[in-house]
Amino acid sequence: MNELASILNIGLLQNTLRTATPVVLCALGCLMTDHVGMMNIGCDGMMLIGAFAAVMGSWLGGSWMTGLLLALAIGLILGLFYGVFVIKLKSDEFIIGVALNIFAGGVTTFLLRELTGQSGTFHAPEGNLSVLPRLNAAWLDNIPVIGQIFNNNTLLVYVSWILVLVCWVLLYRTPAGFWFRSAGEHPQSLRSAGKSPEKMKYIASVLCGMLACLSGAHLSMGYLTTFSENMSNSRGFIAVACVIFGRSNPPKVFLAALLFGFIDALGMRLQTFGISSALTSTFPYIGTVLMMVLLVWRNEQKKKKLAVSGLR
Amino acid sequence: MKKKNMLEYLLALLISVVLAMAVGALIMLATGHDPLEGYVLMFQGAFATQRALGNTLAKAATLCLTGLATAVAAQAGIFNVGGEGQLYLGAMASAVLGAKLAGMSPWIAVPLCLLAAMAAGGLYAWIPGVLKVKMKVDEVITTILLNTAAIYFCSYLANGPLKTMERGISSGTDSVDPAFMFDKLIRRSNLTESLFLTIIITVFIWYLMKKSTTGFQMKLTGQNGRFARYSGIKSDRLALLSMVISGAICGLVGMFEVFGLHKRFIVTVSNEFYFDGMLVAMIARYNPVGIILMSLFFGAMKIGGAAMELNAEIPSTLVVIIQSIIIFFMAAEGGVTTLLKERISRRRTAATLQKGDQA
Repeated sequence: MNELASILNIGLLQNTLRTATPVVLCALGCLMTDHVGMMNIGCDGMMLIGAFAAVMGSWLGGSWMTGLLLALAIGLILGLFYGVFVIKLKSDEFIIGVALNIFAGGVTTFLLRELTGQSGTFHAPEGNLSVLPRLNAAWLDNIPVIGQIFNNNTLLVYVSWILVLVCWVLLYRTPAGFWFRSAGEHPQSLRSAGKSPEKMKYIASVLCGMLACLSGAHLSMGYLTTFSENMSNSRGFIAVACVIFGRSNPPKVFLAALLFGFIDALGMRLQTFGISSALTSTFPYIGTVLMMVLLVWRNEQKKKKLAVSGLR
Repeated sequence: MKKKNMLEYLLALLISVVLAMAVGALIMLATGHDPLEGYVLMFQGAFATQRALGNTLAKAATLCLTGLATAVAAQAGIFNVGGEGQLYLGAMASAVLGAKLAGMSPWIAVPLCLLAAMAAGGLYAWIPGVLKVKMKVDEVITTILLNTAAIYFCSYLANGPLKTMERGISSGTDSVDPAFMFDKLIRRSNLTESLFLTIIITVFIWYLMKKSTTGFQMKLTGQNGRFARYSGIKSDRLALLSMVISGAICGLVGMFEVFGLHKRFIVTVSNEFYFDGMLVAMIARYNPVGIILMSLFFGAMKIGGAAMELNAEIPSTLVVIIQSIIIFFMAAEGGVTTLLKERISRRRTAATLQKGDQA
């Protein structure tokens, strides 16, 4: 019991929030495309490019703000790029997504070499890189546990919480969100209402690109403080899994991402007990697969129950 | 494919490759390199010496196998994106067995290692396959996530419980008996006897996909699962079978790496080999003959790219960029052709209308 208590400490909860945030941001983008009827599996690559753009922007511009702006701008371009291929040219979204992921790995490695002359991990030649600020509220410090958890996080952690709420309101409480969802569910009726489903799809893929790049920015300037090759490490796919798990509803997706973050943090915590880091690193991936299996199994059970009650 | 479609496809492929190479040249120009020099070095690096030729063929063999692995699953309508993990597990299983069986006759031991690699890869592909077939869990996501899990798990084994005691080796399993290793076909190159096995597997997969009844039924399953079921095809079993075959091939690729080059399992046994093969398969539109030809082309580019990096300091990842751009162009091809056709027909109607006015 004592051991259990030492595993489940406050640091675990802090780490849960830290590791969940990139997934939350990316998943918010991904659920936008899911609502309009596209599944963007290229968001892992977008995240990687965003992480690179943020670090380069911060290094060249000398401030974390230029980093963030560059990541968002690149995200906008990537989103448009994805949109033009999938919406205008009617390419297979699976193929475009896979190609985008491979392209991202290649282009970031190439540019890292060509722009900085370094490979593997980026080290700013002038010393420290300007990274995302951490926020503190003095009054929160007085409350024991809550203060420790909710204080001293990087800016984008709080932004991600706000965005969860914003996305939910936008999707379920505004006319624009209604058009958005009908673009995926029933494009014909949206068209007959005088709105263009294509336009909705473009907006969704641009939002997805920007959010995925924002999550990359948090990865390289908040979660870690530099860029290294392939640092997204399939987090984009975990985000897609969270979207499926939370049925594209922002708060539910947020909870799914937190669950992932918890598993990840638990793995890191177990490392201090002498369990190999390579072994614990498998936890989030296996955990996510199990989560998906559980979801489908639960749906089947529900269906069976419905079928039984229907018979009566 | 019908003849007209085939011509259209080849034309699109040619244009895509030329355009992507042009983009590659622009990138080289923008980063201060000479594109002509770059491409010449790439060509020389792939073909100039016997050793280079051997490396190119070896790379093409790997791409061909991983590409066919993608295609065999895709034909049955199931996407195996998890070949990288299956490759790692196949390499691990065969390396461990190859070390355990040391001293045994190679004629018994090597086939056993082959089977172990196929079993490990196949079983690991069976998991997402069953989840897809029985429970409708999206296989794209599960296979990708299982990739990362397998790579970490193998790295744990190679640095932990299965780490070799040999001196000077910081990470990796015990080395397999040297008698089991595939001999080199060209000295100092990566081309080994595994090429013969590759050819056998390639012919088998080509026959399976294009000539056999099972392959035809797989194709029907992939195109229209419901229709296939109604016509009495056990589509679930076929989809699962194709997934397991795909995984088994990937496991073998891992084994070929260990028994051809590394002697033991090492963490860098593959460098996204499966994804390279997947790109090849996508560009060839999952056609086995196309995959064979395309893997020669991409094998040359990969090996040439490495030489280009060595001699002109142009990062070899440029090849990856060019490859993915080819995919972008190929994927857009259908849409672009429709748009062009629409425009032409619109212009024609406008022209005829004008003529009508004049008359």
